Amino acid sequence: MTEYIENPALWALVVLLLIVIAVVVRQRKAAMALRQEIAGLREYYSDLEHHYMQSVAAAQEQAEEATKTVLKSAMRTLQGLAAEQQLILSRLQTKHGESVILQDLLEIDHTNSQFGRRAQSIAVLCDGWLGRHRDNASVYDVVRSAQGRVRHFRRVEILSQVDFGISSRAVEPVALALAELLDNATSYSSPDTVVEINIRTVPKGVAIVVDDAGVGMNDEERARAERLLSSDRVKSVAGLGNPPQFGLAVIGVLSERFGFEVSVDSSSPYGGVRAVVLLPHELLTSMPEKKAPAPPMTRSSVPPPQPNGPEPVPASPTTTDGLPLRRRKRPMAIVPGSAPTPIASARSGAETAAIMGAFQRGTRSGRAARGDDADQTSSTRGSSSEGHEFS
Amino acid sequence: MNGPEDFELEAAELVRPYVITKGRGLPDDDQLSLITLVTAAPEQVQRPLRLSPEEQRLLDLCSAGYLSVAEIAGHTRLPLGVVRIMLAGLTEAGYLITRPPVARARLADKELLEEVLSGLRAKFG
Repeated sequence: MTEYIENPALWALVVLLLIVIAVVVRQRKAAMALRQEIAGLREYYSDLEHHYMQSVAAAQEQAEEATKTVLKSAMRTLQGLAAEQQLILSRLQTKHGESVILQDLLEIDHTNSQFGRRAQSIAVLCDGWLGRHRDNASVYDVVRSAQGRVRHFRRVEILSQVDFGISSRAVEPVALALAELLDNATSYSSPDTVVEINIRTVPKGVAIVVDDAGVGMNDEERARAERLLSSDRVKSVAGLGNPPQFGLAVIGVLSERFGFEVSVDSSSPYGGVRAVVLLPHELLTSMPEKKAPAPPMTRSSVPPPQPNGPEPVPASPTTTDGLPLRRRKRPMAIVPGSAPTPIASARSGAETAAIMGAFQRGTRSGRAARGDDADQTSSTRGSSSEGHEFS
Repeated sequence: MNGPEDFELEAAELVRPYVITKGRGLPDDDQLSLITLVTAAPEQVQRPLRLSPEEQRLLDLCSAGYLSVAEIAGHTRLPLGVVRIMLAGLTEAGYLITRPPVARARLADKELLEEVLSGLRAKFG
């Protein structure tokens, strides 16, 4: 044993072993430290990346917001101008109704409507202004309004009507969404085909069905359309592609905000796309009454026939003959009344004379009242009632 | 979306006139002038539902007897040309009959009138 201890080789071996152990332990420590460092760095990196992404997203959002704000106010100006121009055109059309210019005015009106719709669509994507206030309108009129906003409106045919109205707040959004659908339908079908619109009542409300005879959509397009119409659509104006495809994005925004449903996932019987707009009962009203056409004019022109009050009444049933449209009958009743023969035969000569006499006395007292007016302004009412006493 | 400022101004008509006319052109003046007389065709029993409310209204107006184009236009809010286009369309479809205006009476001879006047003066004046 001792000879082993005295053996220097053994000692050398032991020392070597110790050194090796020490080195290994140190290396291991170093490796551990390095590993920790790497982990730390990795964490730091991912943290950094996360922050970076966040700030990029924030910057993007900010830029998007800024774009939207700019576009919104720009579109607001354009929309205002288009609406103003539309009013001017309406006035011109009435003024030059007899002239050949009317034809051109109608065309300008059509172009202006399309222009207004484009601005309106962009505004909708920027959460902007939708347009001026509208009254309740019949579904049929809203559909026709939408029809007027697309270029090829002559190819659109409305095949059926329903007795429902759309409440005022939904008139413009439904018209705009439908106009975008019609725009798609007319642009993606050949120019000699017709785009059909059917309006039907369904248990859930009213469905407006738009059928085109185009080439339809493939699966990819259909998926894209569905995505645009659903809530996870492109949120930004920048994501609309070039040339931008507003249509479905606009419809998606509008349907979500105003609570109607739009689907484009079925095929039309003509091979194209069938788009369905489903208006729930919340957006529907009863059929709005048509405004009496030019009521002040017709009413002021009839005071003399008023004494024969009962007369228009028997005449009005003949004019109705089971019309599906409920409308105010008064202006129509005036017309049979103004036809000369029935009035003349129904009134005796004495009656006519009495009426004419009353009329004459009335005008005389009116003229007298105007003379008094010069002296005292408040006497008009008194003198006119005086005139009634005479008759 | 609908601020108070949005209600300042009245919006123009929802349905534009060119949609009501379905984009058709103005009829010829000799086909349908201001004083052409129009009435509903007698044999129409049931009107198709395809007619627009404006067209239905025109038929209602015309159902009582002959009316002039100008008169019909006066009863609607629409521009006269638009009414003429619609009336032409309805006439083509056979819902309406038009009658050319009554020919103007020929003016009496001025000399003859003067002779009558002088005769009357001689007798009574």
